Amino acid sequence: MLDVKDAAITPNSHGDDYVDPITADPREFAAKVNAWVPHDIVLKDAWFPLAHSFAVTKKPIRRAIYSQPYFLWREGDTAIAAEFHPSEGMTGTKSAYSDAVGRYPVIEKYGYAWCWFGNPANAAPEHIPSLPYLPEDGGLPMHMLGTVRFDCTAPLSLENLIDLTHADFLHADVVGDEKMDKETVEVFHDSETITMVRTCVNKSVAPIMKIFGGVKADVQQVRQVIRIYLRSHAAIAYGRFSPGDNVQLFHPCVPETRDRTRLDYAMNTSNVKKTNFFRYLMPKASYKVSRQDSFMTSPQSPRYMQPEKRKDLHSPLDEAGQKYRVLMLALAERQARGDFAYRDNVSADCSEIIGYDGK
Amino acid sequence: MAEAWWAVARSEEVTSAKPINVDIGDQPIVLWRDHQGVPHALEDRCPHRRAPLSLGCVLGNGMIQCGYHGWTYDGKTGHLKDIPNLKSDAKFPALYRAIPFGVAESGGFVRVCLDAKAPAPEPGAKALPLSGSANVALEHEHYIAALFDDPSLVLAIRGVRFTPYLLAELAEQNGKLVLERSCQWAGLHWPSPFSSDFPITLRISTDPVTGECDLLLRDDGFNPLLTATLAPVPAARGVTQVRWRARLEDNRPGVRAKLMGAGAPFTVHSSVDGAALRVLKPSASIHAATLRNEIAARTAQTSAA
Repeated sequence: MLDVKDAAITPNSHGDDYVDPITADPREFAAKVNAWVPHDIVLKDAWFPLAHSFAVTKKPIRRAIYSQPYFLWREGDTAIAAEFHPSEGMTGTKSAYSDAVGRYPVIEKYGYAWCWFGNPANAAPEHIPSLPYLPEDGGLPMHMLGTVRFDCTAPLSLENLIDLTHADFLHADVVGDEKMDKETVEVFHDSETITMVRTCVNKSVAPIMKIFGGVKADVQQVRQVIRIYLRSHAAIAYGRFSPGDNVQLFHPCVPETRDRTRLDYAMNTSNVKKTNFFRYLMPKASYKVSRQDSFMTSPQSPRYMQPEKRKDLHSPLDEAGQKYRVLMLALAERQARGDFAYRDNVSADCSEIIGYDGK
Repeated sequence: MAEAWWAVARSEEVTSAKPINVDIGDQPIVLWRDHQGVPHALEDRCPHRRAPLSLGCVLGNGMIQCGYHGWTYDGKTGHLKDIPNLKSDAKFPALYRAIPFGVAESGGFVRVCLDAKAPAPEPGAKALPLSGSANVALEHEHYIAALFDDPSLVLAIRGVRFTPYLLAELAEQNGKLVLERSCQWAGLHWPSPFSSDFPITLRISTDPVTGECDLLLRDDGFNPLLTATLAPVPAARGVTQVRWRARLEDNRPGVRAKLMGAGAPFTVHSSVDGAALRVLKPSASIHAATLRNEIAARTAQTSAA
């Protein structure tokens, strides 16, 4: 049984000129959903977590956002991000994304070096997303951190993530199958975020919890939340399991190019007992799960590179993904008109929205 | 295609000892060098009885002589200069000539333009010492797309493994199509989908019309390790003729880079793995046609202005 609800989080919080892109007209909504060419969406004025803080050392490392080069290194304790390799100097034509000496705005928070992609004058700390279960000053142990890659465009990775019903089939061997008594999906959004809450009653226990997490029951109550910060292509994946331990994943999809996605993840399992193997194994599940996802999304990606007359088919389970598409398109349209302003505060604590109680 | 300069041969392939035959698309061309070392290109067809001139020989005066009846042509203009059995000093009408093509030589390649009046291209860099040729049964456009999407299908660099990950997708830079791919050293290593950083990159800068590419392999300190030029030319029956030149840098930091010198550092495959090619998903190449059209439109606009 499925129940799908939707609501804007703060329907009256915007200025008069703001029109919620999730329109009530189903035909207009469907038209937007089917005008989805994620390959063409390049959102600017956003912070991207380009590297785990531990990876930024004296030796420059190279990253990219939509092919734009970023070189990161540390001078003393300070992380530096620049358009040119320090040994190369400003040899080429400097872009508008860096300052007069070719450097980008960079902030270290939550254990990441966040770099600004867009007009440097608009970089502001309050545009860094709220990640309630990551310590602001970082410091998570290495076994909770890792890098995986998706051979597809970043929005496809995120659309895949926000549709958690795929996990029951593609990742059944890790997180459990589709067997349950009831499933409810709720979707919330504002102009900068979309949040999907999936509640499952008596769902078959995730094998990784049963085998390694000490869960002996056959079923568990599950509340999974995916919250996507649209511009930063970064997602919170928060799961509450009873019986079982909560799963606290930060899932940033950095678009290195329009067809390749880099994910420097952080899976905070410090809530799990140190004697429980699940604490150490769950973060490594990303290696298996990411390959399973990429196996499916990689062949899809070229099929979303050009506009198509043929429309995708949808089920009620795709509500969150459809709304994600429309919200992304709305941001892209706004930016095409020259409007890069943040209409909602992405750094406001979202603990209540995702149901995180600090435990 | 008419105004493009195609690198149809390596300099050392063109001699005054024996003419050679190459193609640009469906146009057969005979190439040879006169005794002053100047290369010449004519249609590979004697206007007398259509015999290939490449079956003839280069005379002491640098002209090419058909092997069928000895008709002899000037390499620069294509004009008929002699019919040995005629025993006459009469001049031949201007109509009596083979079609000449533009020829230019630089960087260790002989380039031909189907338009003999086309302005000569800018001279290229110094010739790279390593070189080779391959004939690949794959159409030119697909050959370049394969190079963009998975270089391992068409070439190999000793000790280097190409990853599916790009640091810069295909984009126009100064009239060229440029991309940069992350690479790993071959051998045991952390799988590329789970790797945070890669030790080397391959930059490919491609002429939008001919597909001639400059390849630059660099390490993560931006030190060049290998440079190469790859010149794929569309030939008859959908074959792509590839000429290449390469140079391994003398000063290559690191053990892996030094080991590149043990054996052939650069190879171009003579065949493409069809099974791998069939399932290769278009990625880097997918916008190549659009980029080419944009560059062509801009070039046409500039020429008109």
